[in-house]
Amino acid sequence: MRISRWIVLSLMISAALLSAQGAVPMFEPPLLITSAGQSADVSLASTLARKAELAATLAKTATGQDLAGYKTLVLVLGASMKGLGAAGIDTGKEKDRVRGLLAEAKSRNIPVLCLHLGGEQRRGELTDDMIREFLPSAKMAIVVASGDKDGLFARICREKSIVLKTVDKTLDAVEPLRAAFRK
Amino acid sequence: MIRPGRALAAVIALGLAVSCRPPGVPTVPPPSPPSATTGSSATTGLSDPHAPYDYVGRIGMVVAAHPLAAKAGLDMLKRGGNAVDAAVATAFALNAAEPFASGIGGGGFMLIYRARDRKVTVVNFREKAPAAATPAMFAGLGKAQSEWRLEKGTAVGVPGMLAGWNYALGKYGTKTLAEAAARAIEIAERGFPVSATFSQINKDEYEKLVKNAGEATCYLNGGIPFEPGETFRNPELAATLRRIAAGGIDEFYGGDIARKIVAAVRAKGGGLTLEDLAAYRAVEVEPLRGTYKGADIYTIPPPGTGGLHLLQLLSIAEGWPLKDWGHNSPAAIHHLGEAMRFVFADKERYDADPDFAVLPLVRLLSKDHAREIREKISAVQAAGTYATGPADPVQDRKENTTHVGVIDRDGNIVALTQSINEFFGTGIVPEGTGFLLNDHMADFSTDPKSPNAPNPGRRPVSNMAPVILFKDGTPFLSLGSPGGSRIFPSLAQIVLNVLEFGMSLDAAIEAPRFYTDSADGKARPISVETRIPGAVLQKLEALGNRIALKEAYDKYFGGAQGIMVLQGGKILLGGADSRRDGVGAGY
Repeated sequence: MRISRWIVLSLMISAALLSAQGAVPMFEPPLLITSAGQSADVSLASTLARKAELAATLAKTATGQDLAGYKTLVLVLGASMKGLGAAGIDTGKEKDRVRGLLAEAKSRNIPVLCLHLGGEQRRGELTDDMIREFLPSAKMAIVVASGDKDGLFARICREKSIVLKTVDKTLDAVEPLRAAFRK
Repeated sequence: MIRPGRALAAVIALGLAVSCRPPGVPTVPPPSPPSATTGSSATTGLSDPHAPYDYVGRIGMVVAAHPLAAKAGLDMLKRGGNAVDAAVATAFALNAAEPFASGIGGGGFMLIYRARDRKVTVVNFREKAPAAATPAMFAGLGKAQSEWRLEKGTAVGVPGMLAGWNYALGKYGTKTLAEAAARAIEIAERGFPVSATFSQINKDEYEKLVKNAGEATCYLNGGIPFEPGETFRNPELAATLRRIAAGGIDEFYGGDIARKIVAAVRAKGGGLTLEDLAAYRAVEVEPLRGTYKGADIYTIPPPGTGGLHLLQLLSIAEGWPLKDWGHNSPAAIHHLGEAMRFVFADKERYDADPDFAVLPLVRLLSKDHAREIREKISAVQAAGTYATGPADPVQDRKENTTHVGVIDRDGNIVALTQSINEFFGTGIVPEGTGFLLNDHMADFSTDPKSPNAPNPGRRPVSNMAPVILFKDGTPFLSLGSPGGSRIFPSLAQIVLNVLEFGMSLDAAIEAPRFYTDSADGKARPISVETRIPGAVLQKLEALGNRIALKEAYDKYFGGAQGIMVLQGGKILLGGADSRRDGVGAGY
């Protein structure tokens, strides 16, 4: 009995370690990709999903109703006043939309993957607000390293047990994105 | 002399440090020790890219939004070129090094001071509407309006850039178009590491570039935006510039390049023709002149209306004790903000191409009109309404465009502002040419009844405002900025920072900025950089102003460049805005 307990424990530890490294697929396609903040990074996420050969739909202003038929919600964290203006919404409405979307994803048991692709230049008061509010809902985050120089992503992910993958460049996000999905 | 703490500037620092000292010329002294107003980064904050830093020269100075462009201008000066030659060399180089802000697919205005006869003149090479334009072309399009104004072929005005550079070189320069283009060709071929600014703008405009230029464009790196430090090359632009250098601007306005422009525009739904391109001419016009407390201020006339409104704003401010109120004090920001709102009311009512509309310039520039506006402004409450007549609301929210300043050994000065409008323009690149086409048709009104409605051959109103200030008849300050509708409010603040608050040039440029306007007669919030203290903002709110916070150094407020002339021209100071990648290069 003692030996089998050790085996079970070892397997659990191994699984946890593998999961923490992002080696175990955590998500399933198809993906619904949307923005939190309406920066152009959301379009970039769509390109990365295509390069990772994942079935994905881009809906910049998706609401809960749009989640039907999807198995993963990809939330691209990055605020842009220009993008918000182009979408015709203000920051309050944008936050309300994302809150509603995340609530619906939770009720449907759809896991959330957060991306931050804009790097240091995309950080700022509004983006940071959204990171603090929405990142805790994620199961995993893929972050371009220059966007986490101050450790905000690392701290939240550590506190909320979110798997964090950092990459040097935007294009480097393709591989962890591919690895995170069960084909 | 390079601003410490700037990675890109450091790339060329060694080259400049050597090349800035031609034989027989006194060595440029190090920057002055920091003071309360200069705060020179020579000893304070080497790692702070925003620390004020005045570039110093004794013979010539170039300021531009990219170090390679500033160096191209400096090298032209050192090869014997005059200020116009160097300005055009810098402008060409910006097409290669800062392609998202200006280039041969765009247009602009060049303000020239010729020292030998003390003449100030303006070369207007603003884009024109093609013959197919109609007043209602952007009306009634609903949600699609923005796309047709900014990203479709209908957004493209007839480019004036090459015509303007060529005119200025031919009349006021000493070098050929080929000589001016040489450094740009090298930059485009060899490439350079992109800055964080380039990378961010590239990411912001990613969607437009994919849609109009395609994933294979040189403006993306393997189909995605460039990261800081990655090398950007544009061999197709180099080839295009080489053809223009060999064949002259007719290659652009009448040759194979013209056919590619027309094909690209028409493929995206526009109506530009070969005849539109062939008919384009740059024109030379008289500058506008105004004063501020005895300083003479020369700037460009409409359709570059930023100059007009800069003069208006300064005339209003002239009657206030700004120095007593204090820099960026609640009283100063409140009064200047109210003045901006009234000036924008004039802007909405009158701005138009003077070739097609009558503008009451004499009245708008008069001190009486400034006094009338000043008398409407309350010290204790924002007015709330600002309408002066039929309004055409300002739609501009752009951060784009670029500015070049040059002074040469003879004291000739050029202040050049040029643009392709939105960053990366329309995103349309004529096949195989490597340059971006402008979206300046968006600067026309969407209201068919507006004096600024699109019409064939008409130039859209521009916010550009290159400016040269004189004290006692002698040039003192050359200045300009990108930033759309923020241009003239930002330039006014820089001028006041120098003249009222005694700041050095770059301290004046880097100082916290604010901006507000009115639309349809109603006040909009005062946008502020977050360096303005919260207590000041609370007092502004108590006076009836709403506040919109921007970043601490936000390129929303522009990216100003300037040159200050001291001690009768013996000392030249260059100021370049850290909100973008601005640098100076003097010798």
